[in-house]
Amino acid sequence: MRFFPLLWAGLWRRPTRSVLTGLSIAVAFLLLGLLEGVNAGFSKAIAEAHRDLLVTRTRVRGGAPMPISALATIQSIPGVREVTQRAYLMGAYGDPLLKNMVAAIATDPAVFFQLRPGLTVTKQSLRAMRENRSGMLATPALLQQFGWRVGDAVTLRSQILKTDGSRDWTFNIVGTFDSVKNPANAYFGIINYSYLDEYRVEDRGTAEAFYERIADPTKAVTTAAAIDQIFANSSHETRTQSDQERAEFQAKQLGNVQFFTNAIMGAVLFTLAFLTGNTLRQSIHERIPEFAVLKAVGYSDARVLGLAYAEALLLYMPAAAVGLMLAYLAAPLAKEDIGSIVVSPAVAMSGLACAALLALVGTALPALSLSRMAIVDALRRR
Amino acid sequence: MALPAQILAVTTANVRSIPRRLGNSLVIVVGVAGVVAVLILVLTMFVGFRTTIEGDGRPDRAIILPRGATTEYEGSLSRETAAAVMNAPGIKHDGRGRPIVSAEVILVAPVARKADNSDVNVTLRGVGGQYFVMRPELKLVSGRMFHPGNQELLAGTSASAEFAGLDIGKQVRLQDGDWTVVGTFAGGNGARESELVADALTVMSAYKLDAFNTMGVMLESPATIASIKEALAGDPTLQVDVRAEPEYLATASDGVNRMLRLVAYAIGSIMALGALFAALNSMSSAVVARTVEIATLRAIGFSPSAVAVSVLIEALLLALLGAVVGVAVAYAAFNGATISTLGGAVWDSQLVYSLTITRSVTVTAVLLACALGLLGGAFPAIRAARSNVADALHES
Repeated sequence: MRFFPLLWAGLWRRPTRSVLTGLSIAVAFLLLGLLEGVNAGFSKAIAEAHRDLLVTRTRVRGGAPMPISALATIQSIPGVREVTQRAYLMGAYGDPLLKNMVAAIATDPAVFFQLRPGLTVTKQSLRAMRENRSGMLATPALLQQFGWRVGDAVTLRSQILKTDGSRDWTFNIVGTFDSVKNPANAYFGIINYSYLDEYRVEDRGTAEAFYERIADPTKAVTTAAAIDQIFANSSHETRTQSDQERAEFQAKQLGNVQFFTNAIMGAVLFTLAFLTGNTLRQSIHERIPEFAVLKAVGYSDARVLGLAYAEALLLYMPAAAVGLMLAYLAAPLAKEDIGSIVVSPAVAMSGLACAALLALVGTALPALSLSRMAIVDALRRR
Repeated sequence: MALPAQILAVTTANVRSIPRRLGNSLVIVVGVAGVVAVLILVLTMFVGFRTTIEGDGRPDRAIILPRGATTEYEGSLSRETAAAVMNAPGIKHDGRGRPIVSAEVILVAPVARKADNSDVNVTLRGVGGQYFVMRPELKLVSGRMFHPGNQELLAGTSASAEFAGLDIGKQVRLQDGDWTVVGTFAGGNGARESELVADALTVMSAYKLDAFNTMGVMLESPATIASIKEALAGDPTLQVDVRAEPEYLATASDGVNRMLRLVAYAIGSIMALGALFAALNSMSSAVVARTVEIATLRAIGFSPSAVAVSVLIEALLLALLGAVVGVAVAYAAFNGATISTLGGAVWDSQLVYSLTITRSVTVTAVLLACALGLLGGAFPAIRAARSNVADALHES
């Protein structure tokens, strides 16, 4: 700590240079933080996805839905704990000519919410759904969008024909549920599958997907294969994936994103290493006589090198921290268009480690030539 | 000496001395090169995506969707609606008097991306018999047309290059068994080349579908869209929206477009800011290192503005050199590479497009480099011009 004034003075020897270098570092780490945050956002989604939750869908999308009888078959597979089915109802609310489509998942709500940990629901809401077959749970965002209240009866005009010949489906809003991760942005409802299936004309007794929970997450792959085996060679072959697989799948669908973020990060790091390395070289070069004085009064090479490195750290670390902090603050701004950018502590730590490494590389080369120099020659330099 | 001659003399002297302060000068070159290369990459991704999607739009083609639908896959058009559209006025007819219309179903087919063997979806478009008449830009490049009634399909050339199992003769597992690839097609700006095409009615019977999702029509002229709109709006049983193709494509790709634009401009401007600080730093060091030299020049009669302009020119030259390096790196690293990403006709189907560096992207990046050079040189230049000759000389 007693060297701090010396380091501080060294830093402010050329204020313009230090400030500009600091600014370049801050800007570079703002960008690095954001890009690494994009990568971390994907990894986080994959890591947080549950391996014990599976989803079975028809392999060919748009193909024939699966018979509901499969529910019992899936349930009987060893290792499968709970199963529930899913169907969709889409309907327009109010004037059907306007774009106000409401999507509702038809399922067995009691089991469904156990299998979807990303959604929260109260016990009262679940009980209300059990007691009211034509009930609907809606997210607060959906309620707000249409000005609905719990207790309202709402009529949706759907493409799905009812047994009474109409396409108007009326539901009673009996409660709410919400998404844990994305509270204000979930716009859909949950209805009872039994109600939809009893009154629809087409596709009766079918489901569009099944959700399962298995006892042993390490058996996800074999269980998924066992489920798909049930439907093999039928007109509705299936593909069962764990939530984790699906998250990976979605990341891959986005294409070679990681390749591009890495390419850009590489370019930024290289440029930054070059720019800041040059500043350090100049700064050390100009002060060769000063360092020589230190050596002349008995400082070891390692100590002099340590001082030079400490000075570089004093410049790099706060600047990198400022850049990463800016990235942390800027990340939510991009949420709507890009998706989640997670500037997590891990991202920040790897950023700071990177800054320390850059400082080391930048100091090492000039410091090495300094340590090789005879003190007398160094003292004579101007 | 006249001012231009002075500027020339000082600039020449500066440029000649660059090798002696190579590291410092390289800072501008490398910094600007990095910005230019990255900017070209992100702009090319953005521009490439947009031109691939929107480039196929022709004002004399219209897309007809169910009322309220914003994408081709989300709504359904009954056979009656399709028949009514075919008879609407304003649609162009072929030599045999048939309307040039394609009623289409949009589905996806699961395929594996060759690059990383990951499962992705491609758009499967069931089309009417007039599809290739309506889209004359698309040409069969190998194999033959599919025969309606047979489970056969055509693959776009990008799709067959990017995804496994889409070569002629290969089978694709879809609903109701295996479908054979019998030909490949190419053309237009490339968006359609990422798709599979089969006969609409054959697809509908295999998938047990009873409705189309979208219709494309060729208009007699761009102006006749008004008459088809009027005719279809007059029939209350038809709930459809008619949009000119360019208008439809612009809205359909809006989401990904906005994302890519934001990414391009955010990354570009952050990097530019960083490079600006680096350029300022480098030129200030250059001026500081030559304090005595500059003072001497001023003492022997060179005007302050000659000194300032020469600093600016040096910064500009270095930035331009950086731009050249950056453009070269960008061309070498990724020009012609293909990207497969979300953006097909269905929300999770793939769009394959190639990164082709356009002249306007290059010009934009080079102009930015010049701006960086000039801005980076400006403050040091002013400082050089204002320095006190006596003090500077005394310092030595």
